[in-house]
Amino acid sequence: MTLVVDRLSVKRGARTILDELSLTAAAGEIVGIVGPNGCGKSTLLSAIAGVLPPRDGRITIAGASVWGTRTERLRARRALGYVPEGADPPGFLRAAELWALCAASRGCEPPGPALSAALGLDELAELALERMSLGQRRRACLGAALLGAPPLLVLDEPDNGLDVARLAALVTLLREHAAGGGSTILASHDAAWLDELAARRHPLG
Amino acid sequence: MSWLQVWTRAVIGPASRRAAAVWVGSAIVAAVVFGPTGMHPADLTGLALHAPAVGAVLALIWLLVYLPIARVIVRADAAAYLRALPGRDRAARLVGALALLGLQLPWLAVWTIGDGARGLALVGAWTLVIMVLARWRPVPGALRTPHWGSAGPALRGIHLRALRRRAGDALLRGAGLSILAGVGAGLFVRNNQVTGDAAAVLGASVIAIVLVPAQVGVLLVLVESHRTSAWLATSLGIPRATRVSSLAFAIAIVHVAATVLALIAAALVIGPDPTTFALLAGTSLVVALGSALGETRTLLGAEHSVSVASRTVSGAVIVGSIAVLCLATLGLAGLLAILASGALALATVPA
Repeated sequence: MTLVVDRLSVKRGARTILDELSLTAAAGEIVGIVGPNGCGKSTLLSAIAGVLPPRDGRITIAGASVWGTRTERLRARRALGYVPEGADPPGFLRAAELWALCAASRGCEPPGPALSAALGLDELAELALERMSLGQRRRACLGAALLGAPPLLVLDEPDNGLDVARLAALVTLLREHAAGGGSTILASHDAAWLDELAARRHPLG
Repeated sequence: MSWLQVWTRAVIGPASRRAAAVWVGSAIVAAVVFGPTGMHPADLTGLALHAPAVGAVLALIWLLVYLPIARVIVRADAAAYLRALPGRDRAARLVGALALLGLQLPWLAVWTIGDGARGLALVGAWTLVIMVLARWRPVPGALRTPHWGSAGPALRGIHLRALRRRAGDALLRGAGLSILAGVGAGLFVRNNQVTGDAAAVLGASVIAIVLVPAQVGVLLVLVESHRTSAWLATSLGIPRATRVSSLAFAIAIVHVAATVLALIAAALVIGPDPTTFALLAGTSLVVALGSALGETRTLLGAEHSVSVASRTVSGAVIVGSIAVLCLATLGLAGLLAILASGALALATVPA
């Protein structure tokens, strides 16, 4: 299993968002988290990405615990690419600088021609993230998440704001990623798009 | 609520808040320059009018300090959406012009008290120059894609970009206050006729105090850069130690640059005394590094707080006070205490 979430509980203040949630994503599998607004989709994905600490439970990526020892934490985080719901890295950065940061952290090269062509990254490279539309910012963040082909992609509503052509390109990229043995866990409200991805649905709430 | 009231709140409100920080900084410097044993405003304006170099330096300092505030009023970016509504554009311009002049209160007071109607006319004329410069928008340069070798240099590069792109106004204001800090330190050292260790302690203390308002705006930009890059750094597996050291590096750069500017100004005022200047430079630079460590800790403590701005200001004041206290009580040996307290403060950062 690439991803194992075991009895995960997350609280925000006094409110329990996730209560003993368990799920898995096998190599080559795409898992779609579905559910109404506020059911905890983004909370789950940010906990998996190592951004939001859980109250209880265990998350492992490629065998390394996301909230384990320092070495395990680093190993788990280097095996994932994450795009949060708001796709909001520091706005003063230009897209090429965001990719350079991700490449430096993962020890890989900036986006290659295939990824650039699929997501139209070349036209975004010199733009400041704060001057981009939501769709452009999401493409820039998807480019960053896909750098170095991490085994697990954690994508929060990646279809939000993308035009038809880029949405189709994203489907192709995610299918290729799955065909190469990678796993994806994503949240989306678009049932038809999840069908197109052949995603296994995991309802929340 | 009328269109003009909304415009005033959107434009003059933020400009006033920025001006308040400058007023506080100016009050500190004024207490040094115009204190009981100091000058009268007429001495300063007379000197500025009869010695063109002094006048030019004074005008340049005020330009650096006030330009960021003038930009807020002249460009009125915060009220851009109001341009789509029918409103009293002429009234807004009048309010803007009055605010542009009135918010220069410290500068206005010095020149009006010192030189009467002619002083007021000079401030008005200089305000026109400030207005023209505030309207100018430089064209952003072409991007050179960075190739960072690892996460540390990448994060440091990101903080430096935040300073360049977000802190332009704060850096300008900080440069002006740094020069003032150096002039104040130089005057203290020269007028009290101290040399050697005593001059270094006195001068470094003055610089440390006056640099507090110079640092705050820049620190706010850095804490924002640190905060907005947090999720990215965490999900990329960048260790917290790397994040903390990158932030400390950026803060240290700002402190050292401000101190160097202040030292240049102080050297011009103190005159030829290489030993005293060397001691003052060494002391001030160590204070800058120690303060940078302490301020890094206060920023890390404030990053998740809703009152991040006020905590940053309080933190900078506390760190500056500790530095002055150490120097005042221990002399040059206080430098070790400043460095140790900064390092200890950083050591308390949770892993």
